[in-house]
Amino acid sequence: MKELAIVDEKIFEVENLAFTYPKNKVEALRDVSFSVRKGEVFGILGPSGAGKSTTQKILIRLLKDYRGHVRYRGKDLRAYNDSFYEDIGVGFELPVHFSKLTAVENMDFFKRLYQRHIDYDALLARVGLAEDKERLVGELSKGMKVRLNFVRALLNDPQVLFLDEPTNGLDPANARIIKDLVQEFKEKGGTVILSTHLMNDVEELCDRVAFITQGVIREISTPRELKIRHGKREVRVEYHENNCTNEKTFPLDKIGENPEFLDILKNRSVETIHSGETSLDEIFIKVTGEEISHE
Amino acid sequence: MNSLMVLLQAEFKRLAKYNIIQVSLGVTVLWLAVLFLIGQNEAGAFIPLFIFMDVSLMTMLLIGAGLFYERQENTLKTLMVTPASTAGIIASKIVSAVYIALQSTILIALAGHFFFDATINFFALIPLVVLVAISHAVIGYLVAMYVKDFTSMLAMLMLYMFVFAFPSIFYAIDMIGGVWETLLIVSPSHAAMILIDFSFGAEETMTLVVVGVVYLSLLSILLMRFFVYPKYIETAIKE
Repeated sequence: MKELAIVDEKIFEVENLAFTYPKNKVEALRDVSFSVRKGEVFGILGPSGAGKSTTQKILIRLLKDYRGHVRYRGKDLRAYNDSFYEDIGVGFELPVHFSKLTAVENMDFFKRLYQRHIDYDALLARVGLAEDKERLVGELSKGMKVRLNFVRALLNDPQVLFLDEPTNGLDPANARIIKDLVQEFKEKGGTVILSTHLMNDVEELCDRVAFITQGVIREISTPRELKIRHGKREVRVEYHENNCTNEKTFPLDKIGENPEFLDILKNRSVETIHSGETSLDEIFIKVTGEEISHE
Repeated sequence: MNSLMVLLQAEFKRLAKYNIIQVSLGVTVLWLAVLFLIGQNEAGAFIPLFIFMDVSLMTMLLIGAGLFYERQENTLKTLMVTPASTAGIIASKIVSAVYIALQSTILIALAGHFFFDATINFFALIPLVVLVAISHAVIGYLVAMYVKDFTSMLAMLMLYMFVFAFPSIFYAIDMIGGVWETLLIVSPSHAAMILIDFSFGAEETMTLVVVGVVYLSLLSILLMRFFVYPKYIETAIKE
């Protein structure tokens, strides 16, 4: 169960966060408030330019001229120095390695910048890079670089993991491995802040999600609650009768007492039954008002 | 291990892997070949000039090219989310640029000393070359971070050479003089030339040498504090 590992300790508390880029007049973030609990996978979702990256850049201390309050483990984020990075791992979307060094040389360099680190060999093997670890990063495929980014993010055995599109560009098998590793990280008490367009990842991984658009958080909830709230409370049944397929929709309330529904179940040949539950893709479009980019 | 030491070791490893040390050595060998072609009588006059070009212009080019490599590889941003300080990251790159400059300087100066009877004050040359290399590494950073692509950077470096370096070179070989001497005071290249010439026994007044040292030191500190450091952070975040 996803919820079991979450405890009430707040890792990040964000209150009335606002940010304007120096050369822009429009605020990139406006009055953003949310909190991330320990052991939770928190998704930040939204179309390109909505403010996801800006939020993440503030939380990882890259942008500092923000307004409002951000607390990490109860302490003002601005009060932390560079040792803050001992605690967090950041997996960027684009490859972030020295192309003329091998995968191992890259990992070895980054590892030595931290006081605490993991056995990256085992992790490289887990993500399927064991045989390619002595190759120059420039020679690796895009998918391999994405997996190397993930290993890089976990190098310092972080408490909090920031992931930006961690499975983008991966085949289903490798995406599965990354998602399993995220789950394992969470089960060990780690907190994940995930930014992605891939609603399948959100559904599988996120305990809660925040939809952000035009710099404003429109909705924060669990994927399940969102689906219930935005879905239709109905059941659609397709059944075979008189050599043709019929379709009938029933309200979900007191469905077990609906004689017509029960009659179809008992006496007809049912082909499919669908609940009116909506998909996160549809919720994304509804909440943000924009189509999902699958680039 | 101290993160600055880790950054420095990594910089040197990358200098070798990206063939920058090898290219720099190759350029030094070219300078030496030219000196031998020029012959003993004229070579002495060209040694300070070659060192000036290597320490100032090559340093700018190497720092700029290195930064562009890193921008392409998105490694600026990933370093910013490690416990290494931004100042340490920038410093490690400047130290590696100074190393390259010193490597060339020492090879050319030793050749000058042993083969061309050049008069060299090594105790002055080394610290002054370090200062010239640091100041030009900072200028190289500045140029590389304010342009959008590699071609623009090369164009800006060419512009810098035409505005600052060439007039100093022309002045050094007596092609220009008079009013230019006053104008050249504001040129970092001219200050660099004065300091390097001084190490080779040129009759520079001590006042000019002190002014050159103070000017390049202040220029480096001010550019670093108000332009390079904040722009580096901005560039890394934009990646």
